[in-house]
Amino acid sequence: MRLLTAVLRTIRNSRRLATGLVILALLVLVALFSPLIVKAVGGGQDPIELAAYDKWQVPGPQHLLGTDQFGRDVFAMVVKALAVSLQIGAIAGVISTVVGVIVAFVAGYKGGWIDNVLSTFTGILLVIPTFPLLIALSAYAKNVSLFQVGVMISIFSWPFAAKTIRSQVLSLRTRPYVDLARVSKARDIEIIVTELLPNLLPFIGVGFASSALGAIFGLVGLEIIGLGPGGVIDLGQIIFNAIGTGALTLGAWPMFVVPIALLTLLFAALNMVNIGLEEVYNPRLRGVAGE
Amino acid sequence: MKSELELRGVQQRFHARGVADGYVTAVDDVSFKLLASPPQIVSLVGQSGSGKSTIARNVLGLQKPTAGSVLYGGKDIFKLSRSEYDAYRRDVQPVFQDPYAIFNPFYRVDRVLWKAVKKFKLASTREAGLKLIEESLQAVRLEPENVLGRYPHQLSGGQRQRIMLARVHMLRPSFIIADEPVSMLDAQVRKHFLDILLDFQREHGMTTLFITHDLSTVYYLGGEVMVITKGQIVERGPVATVMHEPTHPYTKLLLDSIPSPDPDQRWTTRIQVDELERLDDNTPADTTKPEAPVL
Repeated sequence: MRLLTAVLRTIRNSRRLATGLVILALLVLVALFSPLIVKAVGGGQDPIELAAYDKWQVPGPQHLLGTDQFGRDVFAMVVKALAVSLQIGAIAGVISTVVGVIVAFVAGYKGGWIDNVLSTFTGILLVIPTFPLLIALSAYAKNVSLFQVGVMISIFSWPFAAKTIRSQVLSLRTRPYVDLARVSKARDIEIIVTELLPNLLPFIGVGFASSALGAIFGLVGLEIIGLGPGGVIDLGQIIFNAIGTGALTLGAWPMFVVPIALLTLLFAALNMVNIGLEEVYNPRLRGVAGE
Repeated sequence: MKSELELRGVQQRFHARGVADGYVTAVDDVSFKLLASPPQIVSLVGQSGSGKSTIARNVLGLQKPTAGSVLYGGKDIFKLSRSEYDAYRRDVQPVFQDPYAIFNPFYRVDRVLWKAVKKFKLASTREAGLKLIEESLQAVRLEPENVLGRYPHQLSGGQRQRIMLARVHMLRPSFIIADEPVSMLDAQVRKHFLDILLDFQREHGMTTLFITHDLSTVYYLGGEVMVITKGQIVERGPVATVMHEPTHPYTKLLLDSIPSPDPDQRWTTRIQVDELERLDDNTPADTTKPEAPVL
């Protein structure tokens, strides 16, 4: 309970963080309720089925965002695609943040040959051109699931998080407060978790957000060349369809504009959360009088 | 438990690039002994880079010396059993130089004190712990209500440094390793801080290793003094003797470098940097090194 009130208070103190979280929460809510929304739009039938309606209908009361080249309801498609995109972002974001943080802390805190080995490995992964490899991997693995694509994308996105966090750990571990913790009989793991980790939350948040965004856009890229996971529609696929069929010239502008607007909104929300976190967790940026 | 802390032939080398043999020797064959009883104040004086902070890190067990050993109660501090280690940690406590960096900016300052209470099992209940913390804050002349619940950046440097003293007061170690504790405080707060250290010696029998570059604070504290330059202790003895009859040229130079608060008494002789260099070359440490170019 005390933790909850503390969280609420920090959110209230930072308008940026609050805005970002609200937008993010709205998007996540839409994604969570996407099956219900899709059902409501269809009113009994599946609005995303091929030839569910007439094709290329313009936006109107029947179809809020019109229909596409196969006669599918664009609004329902966008809602469903948002859920898919957020899912891939969450999967890849969590995996690469966890791996990145562990590697960064082991390398940065232990130092010596462990650091050398891990940093070299991280460096090697960093310079590998990700996208061609992703193409090769997804072409090789037929019928990949969404989770598998998430794992593939995170293999290449954790080094970014690891690199930035490691350099921060290197600078933080020589701080006098770490020495003070050591003479207070704190063990290594305790120092990492209680002294270093809280100060790195903004960096970890940034790492998560950029991996998640990278994964979302990575999937968009894969979809465009037809190598995405089978049977799912994500925001990238809708954009791709809009480009491929010249939807803009047919008056079906929502197919193009809405997914891009959603991606932009997601990007803005995640960035606002990042900046807000930085403000909250760096008390020096706060007012002198405190709370 | 009264004990002693001894450095025996401690040497600390660091890898360094751009140096002829690939390393620098920060501490070179340093030996001295600190006794817990009678409580004493021993000052370690030297310029920046002379190795004094490295000695503090060695003594505190934060840095394992390359050679030689640090002994607590006659045993190497890096080979202590669990219970001996606990006793050593409790008994040897630091006050660090930078009152800003010593606090984790993420937490309120109370945490440093609570951590000491919990880690060293000073109190069994929260009330007893709080009472102890308040007592110790009052002992260093801080009002508990003014500092508790605050973040480090909301306190002044003097307040923060005294919170570290309050921590020491709670733990009652036999040895305080004070690494330049007053170098970042202004003159008034500095005297205040030194008085508290002297109180600790008199009332709680704490021995202090006081590391500084400032001879006037050494003079104020009294006791014994060791002069260190280039990682070697070149002179030691009671403060009065060393101050008035310095034997080593480096000590003389240090004494000449104290500004006097008297407008009529200006520094008439200029101390040249190359004079310092020449002095260094006279010390035994450098007999193996090539001659400095004569200007």
